Amino acid sequence: MTATSERAPGQVHPAPWLVPAVLVLAAFYAVPVFDVARLAFSDASLVDPATEVSTAAFRAVLSNPALPGVVATTLLFVVVNVVALQILGLAIALLIARGERRELPGMAAFRTLVLAAWVVPGIANGLIWQILFDEAPYGTLNSILGGLGLGPVAWLSDPQMALVSAVIANLWQGTAFSMIVLYAARRGIDPTLYEVAALDGAGPWRTFRAITLPLLRRAIAVNTVLVSVQTLNTFDSILALTGGGPGRATEVLALFTFNTVFYNLDLAAGCVLALLLFALGMAFTLLIGWLNRGASET
Amino acid sequence: MSAARTADILTYVALIALGVFFAVPFAWLISLALRTPAEVYLGAARFIPSEPTLANFATILSDPAFLIYLWNGLKLSAAGGGLAVALAIPAAYACSRIDFRGRGAVMVSLLAVQMISPLVILVPLYRWMNALDLLNRDISVIAIYGALGMPLAVWLLKVAFDAIPRELEEAAEIDGASRVDILMRITLPLARPGIASAFILAMVMNWSQFLIPFVLLERDADWPISVAIFNFAGSVSASTTQLLAAACLVAVLPAVTIFVLLQRMIVSALIAGAVKG
Repeated sequence: MTATSERAPGQVHPAPWLVPAVLVLAAFYAVPVFDVARLAFSDASLVDPATEVSTAAFRAVLSNPALPGVVATTLLFVVVNVVALQILGLAIALLIARGERRELPGMAAFRTLVLAAWVVPGIANGLIWQILFDEAPYGTLNSILGGLGLGPVAWLSDPQMALVSAVIANLWQGTAFSMIVLYAARRGIDPTLYEVAALDGAGPWRTFRAITLPLLRRAIAVNTVLVSVQTLNTFDSILALTGGGPGRATEVLALFTFNTVFYNLDLAAGCVLALLLFALGMAFTLLIGWLNRGASET
Repeated sequence: MSAARTADILTYVALIALGVFFAVPFAWLISLALRTPAEVYLGAARFIPSEPTLANFATILSDPAFLIYLWNGLKLSAAGGGLAVALAIPAAYACSRIDFRGRGAVMVSLLAVQMISPLVILVPLYRWMNALDLLNRDISVIAIYGALGMPLAVWLLKVAFDAIPRELEEAAEIDGASRVDILMRITLPLARPGIASAFILAMVMNWSQFLIPFVLLERDADWPISVAIFNFAGSVSASTTQLLAAACLVAVLPAVTIFVLLQRMIVSALIAGAVKG
């Protein structure tokens, strides 16, 4: 029984245990990504194989007059969402943390409500907000505004307003994720720090600036990256809400890619766009690794 | 003391304002789903319908196709979630219990692949499924759900395994049990809440999936509810908003209900994962 000592914890060979996970990562992520890159330089269609190597798709995508607008919309959509998601998520996390500390009733119910929006399928999210943004006089928001003597607002038919509406729908669903990450980080802060601050007579704002915010910096940084990539990859809720319209006002890169492949059936161009999506996502991911390293050194 | 009281009141004011934002879509959906067509045109004035009706739900649920969509959604989500957890268990166990070089790299690459949009990998996967003659088969969707759910499941299960004292396993080891025995008889039963959380989360994510079944399943009868309501929405007009609202509620309710019922367990698993991650 020489194997006995080898089976002691920490001395087993990990390879057999890792086989399923590594195979999945290879077959469903690594190889497809290489295949996308290969297809981007080909003339393949969704079902026909590639017959020649070409950069035609790259040139076609880059010279597509719609692309600059799509990229600009995407960046605007991501930046606005990420900033708003952080602020909303942080505000809710801190409010709930405060409420729990003070043992106020209703905190769990509120958290449940926010989380409930999170598990709504993206398509349903788009459809629900499409109903809410209905511009007819009996539409939800317009009839509420009408009751207050305001409006009506062209929620979905005005290009700029449509993007605002898409952001609102995304915030409704996305806030829960930021809330969980920041709430977890807030709970990780040593309560004695706050006791010391209170003894020193620091007010709430000063405590927030001097203790909470600096100690949440890493969580906020990591969350920024995760939320940016999630927002970048979002398209089903926009597809259901506006279909990318009016015109191309709400057509973000992920939706543009989807339309290119599955409506225009232009596989090569879709792969070029998918590569662009992938590159942006990976750029954010490298950033996360870099941020984590910085945090573990300190 | 009174300053704290004031702050309590401000806390509630802020939470109520935010609560309205999060509650209105749900409340409105319920309100619309209970209205007759005539009351839909009355807007906010009939937030509480004067003649509430379940006719919309009856219309939706008496359509056999709708029940099939729900069943398809459940079937695909559960099978995909189960596959994700099954694939994740060995890797999570290794990352929790075995000290090996490259463990950090494994965990980071699992995190990294979550940054890849399904949109990126779906094109090659579609072509392969086509070549293998698996298009329009549930197995193709389930396989991809398993692959998409696995990374998060590994993270959550690793955290769950980490929480189980090693001493329990060492005791069994002295008794001569093999690693696999220990995993099956001791670790997995003790990690049941973590496994359940990982499974439910994967399942809820799958329930929300639109892209993969939309692309891989062409036949109406194979669709899960997420794809079906998208198609349904394309066919409704202003006069059937109340039906769409009822359909949306039916599509949303299973995921929300299960999540709300189990949220204490799931949220604590997520929080543990977020702290470690």
